[in-house]
Amino acid sequence: MKRLLSLGSLFALALLVASLVFAQDSGQATLQTPTGTHPFTFVQQADQLYVSAHEVTQGLGGTITPDSTGFKITIGNATAAFGPDSRYGVIRDELIEMPVPPITIEGRPFVPWQFFQGFLGTAAAMDVRWDAAAKSLVVSPAQRSAIAVQASVANIQGISKLVLTLSAAGEYTIDSQPGSMLVRFRAPVRAPFTEQSYDDPHVARITFAGSDVRIQLTGANVVGDAYQLQNPPRVVIDFRKGTAPLPGQTVPLTPQPQSHSPGIRTIVIDPGHGGKEVGAVGPNGMLEKDLTLTFARKLAESLSRQIGARVILTRDDDSLVSLDQRTAIANQYQADLFLSVHLNAAVVAHAKGSETYFLSLEASDELARKAAETENASQSDAGSDLKLILWDLAQQAYLDESSRFAQAIQEELNAATSIANRGVKQAPFKVLIGATMPAALVEIGFISNPEEEAKLQTSEFQDSMVAAMTRAIERYKNDYETRIGVIKPAPAASTTAAGSSAPAAAPAPAPQTRMDR
Amino acid sequence: MVALMVTVAVAGCRKKDTVSDPAAAANKVAIRSIQLFYGSPNQLLASEPRNVSLPESPAAAIPLVMRELVKGPVGQGSLRILPEDTVVRGAWLLPGGTVIVDLGGPTLSSGWGTGSHQELLAIQSLVQTATTNFADAQRVRILVNGTQTETLGGHVALSRSFAPRSDSVGTR
Repeated sequence: MKRLLSLGSLFALALLVASLVFAQDSGQATLQTPTGTHPFTFVQQADQLYVSAHEVTQGLGGTITPDSTGFKITIGNATAAFGPDSRYGVIRDELIEMPVPPITIEGRPFVPWQFFQGFLGTAAAMDVRWDAAAKSLVVSPAQRSAIAVQASVANIQGISKLVLTLSAAGEYTIDSQPGSMLVRFRAPVRAPFTEQSYDDPHVARITFAGSDVRIQLTGANVVGDAYQLQNPPRVVIDFRKGTAPLPGQTVPLTPQPQSHSPGIRTIVIDPGHGGKEVGAVGPNGMLEKDLTLTFARKLAESLSRQIGARVILTRDDDSLVSLDQRTAIANQYQADLFLSVHLNAAVVAHAKGSETYFLSLEASDELARKAAETENASQSDAGSDLKLILWDLAQQAYLDESSRFAQAIQEELNAATSIANRGVKQAPFKVLIGATMPAALVEIGFISNPEEEAKLQTSEFQDSMVAAMTRAIERYKNDYETRIGVIKPAPAASTTAAGSSAPAAAPAPAPQTRMDR
Repeated sequence: MVALMVTVAVAGCRKKDTVSDPAAAANKVAIRSIQLFYGSPNQLLASEPRNVSLPESPAAAIPLVMRELVKGPVGQGSLRILPEDTVVRGAWLLPGGTVIVDLGGPTLSSGWGTGSHQELLAIQSLVQTATTNFADAQRVRILVNGTQTETLGGHVALSRSFAPRSDSVGTR
């Protein structure tokens, strides 16, 4: 009997503990929408509030449908889905991240309230918040004046470049203090993070708070030159060592040079990888990042000399530059061409040859684009996330030209060398996505192949590949400028792979092989 | 008071479950034949058949199949594409056909030094394995350590899901 009582006590204690962990609160709450209020059932477990998916969906005028893998919720023309045990839902091709997976209670799904925050934020530009005191889930139109901001920092040739990419143009001021800088927007800011530290010689930390972006510098002697760019709107601050600013000094904004004559004037060459991102490693230890820098430097020098273009490298040393920043540099300089230089690797040792890529139109990208267009048509001032989606698809407007550019590169590489032709291909390369100009990525050869690894290191081979890429760019330049009427076609001029003769082009700016400011 | 809390706890324990209840009802485990996609000497993917003990429910089976994939090939001529230390932290099949695969492991966590060819094949090995073995699976979204990561190896954007590409698969 005692034993039974003891077991019973233990069971009761276990249930007591369970009750403290689970099912701490439940009851009725109110869904507040712009059109009315609706009751729904909630359950609170520890810090997490779950809401009845059926009742909230119905309150929002939607429908919920079960299937073998979970549930679909349709509100208006948007459908989201969530599944068992997954803290990720999906709407179109966007993830809805929840703190914890959904649960069921008496056969009905209860989702973390953040599911509806993600759903309505993405699909309908609505804000959703939980008011614990009032036990209300409040749905309201998103602050349309809010600006979504993305931040990136890269050190290029000793200068740290901070780029704040904005979802919409907005007013702001920049104040400088010794050791810090404050960018204060007039509109509310949707921040990408609260605080982030950087391993950078000038920028130590960036903090978002309200409408403020505070940049903590690595020393009082770091100064910043700020300027703004458009399409998309960006605030760019170049940090370097200099004379410390006076406290509270307002940083003047340097206007963006707007004059941009048609034609291929500025070319950005991007040596793949760098810093701790070594890229592929050859069987004899060659690092992709070192060889791409060698090729890129040679190509920049060749292009400056041969076609007089302004050439900019995204890195000119062994520094780590983020993929977004590489594209941002090309956009910032309003480049007319972007070429990312890489070396390939495969598990098959005999894989060899060169191939050139331009951005692919993935089915999901197409889905996102169509959805964005639909929403853009119905909500001319829709949420700023939508504009970020479109920014993600910036390269799509240049796909035809990127294809021509990639074709020219591949054909010249084929013509110039004995290296195997793997052709022109498409893939969703991150470094190409945001480029607002014709852009391609060339894989010159396979560093994973011992024979090609050795060949890639020889000056003779490097020079022949650089000459081929120079011819390709010159050929594409002449073809493009002829098509847009900048130069008149010369009847006898050759545009074949072997031809370097070119119609007289408009005068090009002075060649540069470094970042100029 | 204690009695009330016990009552609440009993109610909580009885009621709480995951949303996988319907699937769990049909979750008979049996040896099933699946196709796993690995590298082949022709530089494309090729399928390797394997018999694995799996539940009937796709939602329950998909993480097991993806974990079987990262164990690596056993067949002659099959080549491992993903890093050897890759782990599958989770895999979920959502309504509408999106599969979310959450990868981890030291190499993918610290930066995988590879070329775009191998990176593209690695992604397609996940996509082909998921979409070939599960009729409802149409596309795969890849996470690393539970977060939306830029790339696996510095090239291919993971910000969108991947559909199967027929040009990534050849014959052995």
